Amino acid sequence: MNAKPAVREPLLDVRAISAGYGGMPVLHDVALTIYPAEIVALVGSNGAGKTTLLRTLSRVLSATGGIVMNGHDLMPMTSDQVFAAGLVQVPEGRQLFDRMSVQDNLLMGAYRRTDRAAVARDLDRMYTMFPRLSERRRQLAGSMSGGEQQMCAMARGLMAAPVLLMIDEMSLGLAPVIVEQLMDVLTTIRDEGVTVLLVEQDVNLALSTADRGYVMETGRVVHSGPAKQLIDDPEVRRAYLGL
Amino acid sequence: MTALRIILILAALAVLAAVPWFGSDVLIQFGINALLLAVLAQGWNIIGGYTGYASFGNSVFYGLGSYGVAIAMVQWHLPFAVGLAFGVVLAVAFAVLLGIPVLRLRGHYFAIATLALAQVMTAIVSNVELAGQNIGLVLPPLNNDRLFYELSLGLLVLVTLTVFWLTRSRFGFGLIAIRENEEGAEVMGVNTTLYKTLAFALSGVFSALAGGIHAYWVTFIDPESAFDISLNVKMIIMAVFGGPGTVLGPVVGALSLSAISEFLSSEVTSVAGLFFGIVVVAAVVLMPRGLADVFRRFRKTGWRYFAENIRAHRL
Repeated sequence: MNAKPAVREPLLDVRAISAGYGGMPVLHDVALTIYPAEIVALVGSNGAGKTTLLRTLSRVLSATGGIVMNGHDLMPMTSDQVFAAGLVQVPEGRQLFDRMSVQDNLLMGAYRRTDRAAVARDLDRMYTMFPRLSERRRQLAGSMSGGEQQMCAMARGLMAAPVLLMIDEMSLGLAPVIVEQLMDVLTTIRDEGVTVLLVEQDVNLALSTADRGYVMETGRVVHSGPAKQLIDDPEVRRAYLGL
Repeated sequence: MTALRIILILAALAVLAAVPWFGSDVLIQFGINALLLAVLAQGWNIIGGYTGYASFGNSVFYGLGSYGVAIAMVQWHLPFAVGLAFGVVLAVAFAVLLGIPVLRLRGHYFAIATLALAQVMTAIVSNVELAGQNIGLVLPPLNNDRLFYELSLGLLVLVTLTVFWLTRSRFGFGLIAIRENEEGAEVMGVNTTLYKTLAFALSGVFSALAGGIHAYWVTFIDPESAFDISLNVKMIIMAVFGGPGTVLGPVVGALSLSAISEFLSSEVTSVAGLFFGIVVVAAVVLMPRGLADVFRRFRKTGWRYFAENIRAHRL
């Protein structure tokens, strides 16, 4: 379909992943490829298995199949090892440290980094990228608005210097104007070389920003391809965009 | 920390260290008990105050430390120091073996699960011949209260320095992150299972050392007194009274509550228990975050501090 990705080495290569909870299978033979410095949208309705796939990738959930990132086999790793390898999650519901200041939250993102000078530089970069956080750096994270908290969660994730940033339900419950700002940030960090996997229920929103997309339904990938192409796909339009 | 504060702490430490040379026998004995309770409260602070896991299992570590010393000295005729080390090994083994399953539970469930551990240990040890079954063990006496006092004080300094290190270290920040939001900590690459188990074990090591010193000092232990759950309640009350999750709070809490309790039980014997209860209830209502928080905020808020706390309880 798209000639460009075919010549590049994939950053993340997911093959034939099957996983579930207890005896209940949720994912069936899911395959997914992500190339460096692109935004990939993973969309689908409630219960399609998007979050389960994320949990599998961050090795919180056991699974069969293969996950290779940057030449590292992620399958035998634990969640903190996957994190150390550069696969960082911005979780659904943000999971901020509510009683800590914004600055401390961001520094917690850099928890495993030892290069102090680079951490300080990244902190400045975050405050430039999210001026709102800069104004509120001494404020407790839990006392901010939902949009500001989502910014804080994304900045915290970026402070970990991720190779691949996975964002779960970024737009949930946020005002459209805030979502638009966050989407602009995604484009910025993509251009700076960070790869993004965006998991969204808002199909239109995700596909209008992403480079490529995967559509999931009942634990299977049912459509994939360049985002523009998916938005125009009559089946996707009918099922998800109500058109 | 300011230079003034360091000088004050060192001065207080020097006074405490000098007590056995000018104090009466009664004062020294009270001191040993109070210092060991402070060690327990500070040890609990690691798992309860910093990691946010309200452990009722620390009296198990205390009991294991006591039995470590007693078994090594009575049954195997080994020196006291070896007994202490044996107790520490038992505590660490217990923390790892039981910590891994029990630390999966959170909040009240964790508290209840650990509460059961002490009861179970009493039953188990009562049936172990090496531990003297339910009769207990009698240790060789050593009449040197000065030594026990200085040992306890040394241990208190050690555990407090450990807690101070926690507030400065990557490991300590990992624990605080777990307390504030365990899921958040996990997503940020903190190996939560490992960290919680280490915190539990570290907390247990100090409880075990305190138990070991206490056993040699009183020269007698039995399962009931070694795994006494009320001791665990005491350490929690003292840590919370002083300020959980602070470096000096639990020490100040333990020493001041020990003094109040001692004064009441000698001066107003009949209603001492009642008074102590009132002190605790008043503390929880008026200063739920402990003395440390009062010291920090009182200057700014004045007496309003207590009124605000009462209001926050919706009493």
